[in-house]
Amino acid sequence: MAHALREKAGVSGIGETAYTRGTSKSGLALQLEASLAAIADAGLSPRDIDGIIPYFPGGGIAEDFIANLGLPDLTLSAFIPMGGATCVAALQTAAMAVATGVCKHVLISVGRTGYSGARVSTRLQQFPQFALAAEFEAPIGLFAPAQLYAQGARRHMELYGTTVRHFAEVAVITRQHAILNGNVVMNKPLTVEEHHASRMISDPFRLFDCSLESDGGAAVIVSAADRARDLKKPLVTIMGVAEGHPESPASIAQRPDLLEFGLVKAAARAFPMAGVGPKDIDVAEIYDCFTFTVINQLELLGFCKKGEGGPFVMNGGIALGGELPINTHGGLLSQGHVVGLNHVIELTRQLRREAGKAQVKDAEVGLVTGYGDMGDGSLAILRRAA
Amino acid sequence: MSTSAIPAAPERPLPTPTRESQPYWDGMREHKFQLQHCASCGKVRHYPRPVCPHCFSMESRWEEAPLGGKIHTWTVCHHPFNFFFKQAAPHVVALVDMDAGVRVNAPLRGIAETDIRIGRRVKLGFEPVTKEVTLPFFVAE
Repeated sequence: MAHALREKAGVSGIGETAYTRGTSKSGLALQLEASLAAIADAGLSPRDIDGIIPYFPGGGIAEDFIANLGLPDLTLSAFIPMGGATCVAALQTAAMAVATGVCKHVLISVGRTGYSGARVSTRLQQFPQFALAAEFEAPIGLFAPAQLYAQGARRHMELYGTTVRHFAEVAVITRQHAILNGNVVMNKPLTVEEHHASRMISDPFRLFDCSLESDGGAAVIVSAADRARDLKKPLVTIMGVAEGHPESPASIAQRPDLLEFGLVKAAARAFPMAGVGPKDIDVAEIYDCFTFTVINQLELLGFCKKGEGGPFVMNGGIALGGELPINTHGGLLSQGHVVGLNHVIELTRQLRREAGKAQVKDAEVGLVTGYGDMGDGSLAILRRAA
Repeated sequence: MSTSAIPAAPERPLPTPTRESQPYWDGMREHKFQLQHCASCGKVRHYPRPVCPHCFSMESRWEEAPLGGKIHTWTVCHHPFNFFFKQAAPHVVALVDMDAGVRVNAPLRGIAETDIRIGRRVKLGFEPVTKEVTLPFFVAE
């Protein structure tokens, strides 16, 4: 029997602000600007929004959305505190809400002043999910995600022979894709040599292995499949969606396998729900907080065997025109850091065939992942409307 | 009237013990590596928490554990996300599989970066940083 949520909901609207380093706008203003763009893209009025899932912590809450958008009757206000896994996990919650009739149109949104506001070193200290890292690891000098994830990357290199050349390939190709997009923070080509010469952050991660600290807002609307007639554009259908939580969720250090996280559980549910497998995926937007995390996720998703993610990304396989084009918008590494909601937006564009110079030819089915809070994972598989 | 432009020296981030973790930090202060064990099924758990995830008992006891372990992985911190660590950079932080069956993340001293290997034996040491707080570090066993 088909999963109860399969193809019952879809992405109906997408919106984003300019991605920059430096802005005079507040995170809330960026979030609302992107939200209004997404609502217009869907062909709806702000008054039609009856569910909101804002990124949290940081950004607006229900009170802000009601006050600014005049929402007449909000029936759902939810937070999903999963860090970088939040936005894709929110697709599941939104799909549940619209498929059951609790909501008609759910707005998922992010507004972030990651460059002009609080930077990574101070922002995360406030997250309850980072309490163990703050107590046991910050005092010995280990706190930022770049440091915590570096230990996993080092282990992968030691066990499987993965190299910084593999990391560089992810950075270079992601940059090539960003340049095609245009609305990006990093708009100049990057070479392997420049990657290798960039300053060391936390070995083995160099500067160009790390995602951006940037300013920007992003938003998507999820609507019920049976409301497609009310919308301006064809719905991009959610075939499969799931979230997953790892063992030892608040501490990477204590996790039995540092290289396994919630995405494994999410994939075990989302692929069967969608009725497709890795071979059916035409384009993949992979949460790229670090270059290595892309390599790791390609393994966990089953695109290659464990330990073979490094060789998999070489020889153009993940570039446009390759076997599995990834991060066709430039990702968090080169476009901007809006916690991966830009990945959902890009996949929607690809499946609408609105991706311009970065369009994957004949894209029918794609996937998007989320990865955050030191190990939460989420996966959505979307399909072009028939 | 302006105050001094010289910034105060950055302070080391310190742990804020919880009711669950206080015995761990008390042990560290006495140079004892104490771990929380379930009083019912005996299993060790780290970091400290109120309930045993294996048998759900809320009773626990603290036992001194051996100081040895093997390197699981490591990183070399170059960028000081907290300015306190700027002077120490670059510094190695090793994640160690302790013989007691839990992991500890702590600075690794006295082993050249090129000599670090997964599986290499190390030993936990104690470094008092305030009257209340003693932090772990590793040296070759």
